[in-house]
Amino acid sequence: MWVRTGAPRSRTIRVRGLQHYFGEGETRKQALFDNTLDVYEGEIVIMTGPSGSGKTTLLTLIGTLRTVQEGSLRVLGRELLAAPRQELVATRREIGFIFQAHNLFGSLTALQNVKMGLELFDFDQPEMKRRATTLLERLDLGHRLNYKPDSLSGGQKQRVAIARGLAHSPRIVLADEPTAALDEATGRKVVTLFQELSREQGVTIVMVTHDNRILDVADRIVNMVDGRIKSDVVVQESALICEFLQKLRAFEKLTPATLASIADKMQVEQHSPGDVITRQGEPGDKFYLIRSGEVEVLVDDGTEKRVVATLRDGDLFGEQALLTGEPRNATVTATKVTMLYSLGKVDFQAAISASASLREELQKVLFERQ
Amino acid sequence: MRRRTPLAWKNLTNEPRRLMIAVAGVGFAVLLMFIEVGFLNALLDSTVQVLRCLRGELVIVSRTKFAMAARERFDARRVYQASGCPGVESVYPIYMETMGAVLRRGDARPASRGYPIRVFASRPDDHVWLLPAVGENSPRLRQPGTALFDEASRKQYGLPHRLPDLAKCETELAGQRVRFVGTFYLGVDFTNDGNVIMTADNFARYFPYRSRGMNPLSVVDLALVKIRPGVSWRTVQADLQQRLPDDVRVFAKSAFIQNEKDFWSTSTPVGYIFFVGAVVGFVVGVIICYQIIYADITDHIPEFATLKAMGYRTPYFFQLVLAQAAYLSLFGFVPGCLVSAGIYALLARITGLTMQMNLVTTLGIFVATWCMCTISGLLAVRKLLSADPASLF
Repeated sequence: MWVRTGAPRSRTIRVRGLQHYFGEGETRKQALFDNTLDVYEGEIVIMTGPSGSGKTTLLTLIGTLRTVQEGSLRVLGRELLAAPRQELVATRREIGFIFQAHNLFGSLTALQNVKMGLELFDFDQPEMKRRATTLLERLDLGHRLNYKPDSLSGGQKQRVAIARGLAHSPRIVLADEPTAALDEATGRKVVTLFQELSREQGVTIVMVTHDNRILDVADRIVNMVDGRIKSDVVVQESALICEFLQKLRAFEKLTPATLASIADKMQVEQHSPGDVITRQGEPGDKFYLIRSGEVEVLVDDGTEKRVVATLRDGDLFGEQALLTGEPRNATVTATKVTMLYSLGKVDFQAAISASASLREELQKVLFERQ
Repeated sequence: MRRRTPLAWKNLTNEPRRLMIAVAGVGFAVLLMFIEVGFLNALLDSTVQVLRCLRGELVIVSRTKFAMAARERFDARRVYQASGCPGVESVYPIYMETMGAVLRRGDARPASRGYPIRVFASRPDDHVWLLPAVGENSPRLRQPGTALFDEASRKQYGLPHRLPDLAKCETELAGQRVRFVGTFYLGVDFTNDGNVIMTADNFARYFPYRSRGMNPLSVVDLALVKIRPGVSWRTVQADLQQRLPDDVRVFAKSAFIQNEKDFWSTSTPVGYIFFVGAVVGFVVGVIICYQIIYADITDHIPEFATLKAMGYRTPYFFQLVLAQAAYLSLFGFVPGCLVSAGIYALLARITGLTMQMNLVTTLGIFVATWCMCTISGLLAVRKLLSADPASLF
């Protein structure tokens, strides 16, 4: 799994201050407002939002199908703003597109349609055939290789189009409602394939969908409204955090909705042995939960340093400075490789004020410690 | 080169009905060009058809004769002078009358005033005609008042085209009785509506005044020179031109034929008119072909846009459309050419013109067809290049 801090995996898509406009002069209308987004290798990102919210515009910009007007957009390490055509086409060839409509050539068989996606690259004939056949078989179309689209069902056509988009082993897949034409079982098959590609080959998948049945495969859900990214939620991680929080005494009385909103705001941090996480005397800015690992709590009373506690999985620390507003009263150092969930001061205080039981529980923890 | 999916071919042949319409469209343009060029060639070929039916490698004509139809003649003594030239096997004088030769059917009801016809005459012992009918009828032609009639002559003469009905008709040529003892096939052209062949002796009887009181055979319209086997015609031509006085010119027959064609195609508006006709056919073809290719591209815009999204670039699309244009021109040309051949045969029967489909013309029209489709393709490719992959999401 990727981790946001610690050693990050390479960033395949980097969006900074991206603006986009349609039309010119009086009719000029802004479609994207100052968007910022990072997508990493092997991530599956689902983009949601009402129609006209700019998600497809963002997708076409990432796919180099539109010209970047303002801001910065780096895809696979290449800056697309003012990039020469050559560069754009090179980028485009590393992307697999899956459109809502299948757009297959009626004159070509399933196999030939998939091969059209391969002929741009240096594959020899047997390799092209092998790739195309393997993918089509994966998508349950092994018995339809030499059928033309006219003799395929809507779902089968869509799967041929998916195979065509994936055949050349793209590093990024951009998909627009890829499962809309599929029944639940085949839709599941397609997203399972997506998951495999992302886990095993590190393919980045950005998908626009309204299909609630497949939301669970997302690593992150990016919600757009009116041309702005409204939320960028790490789904998989927050689900894990929720699960973890539920087991803790301090959180056990919280409603699932409150838990989820806290989990959404939590960050994952990874520390190596010896890393100082909080330092005595500094102002407190975060509250921590130990997911796994071990930390030592050191207090320096002016004459000597004492280890007052060793904290392990499921323990929490850092709440006192946030509750009292005083500086850190101890230095916390990792003694093993430690995964922490952290919550910022503002979010922490919001969570406390929203839930009386959480405050009580935390005060109880505080009291027990003294 | 790696074998690619032949998308142009597949797209063109995927829908047979659509292909049929496309083929019919292009074929029609091919037909138009063939007919215009066919008429032009008919005009040119018909005027020289008679020369092709005469034996001999060289032609002697009056210096001032600019076309076959021009009544410029030369002294018959040139024929005898030419005969004496080394390398010459024989010289055949040909006598020709057009304006004064009115052919009238005497027993026509209502009475006809007759129409001019072209009359050729040669000496009875000269085997100058390559038409078999002339040789076969040679004994009968020696009788006074006899002649052969061209089966291809126009209907206005009101004569049956075959024996024995023809022999039964009462016919007059230049005011004197004439008896047709046989028929031959030569064909008409744009200035002559029919042909008659007779011997020089008979010719002298029908046209006694053509040389202002002198022997009517003392002026010759043209003479054919037959060269001894093994002798170069170039040498003889140069020799003859030098020996003969300046009032005649000696041409190779092929050059004479070419001059005659050039005269009609460049010095008269007729050639130009048919050329413009062929250009119109070409333009119509471009429009039809453009419509076909354009419609095909329009129907496949999302697919082409998808190819663009995949990273296919402009040269690929040019190649695709040009290949499609080339296939289309081939598909359209073959049936167009076959139908044209049929129509040529039909027109030749109806008009009596020489409608021939020669290799040069056929190749020329094929190249024109290809150009036609390619131009249309290049016009239509803009539509393809405008396909916007961003519109697919």
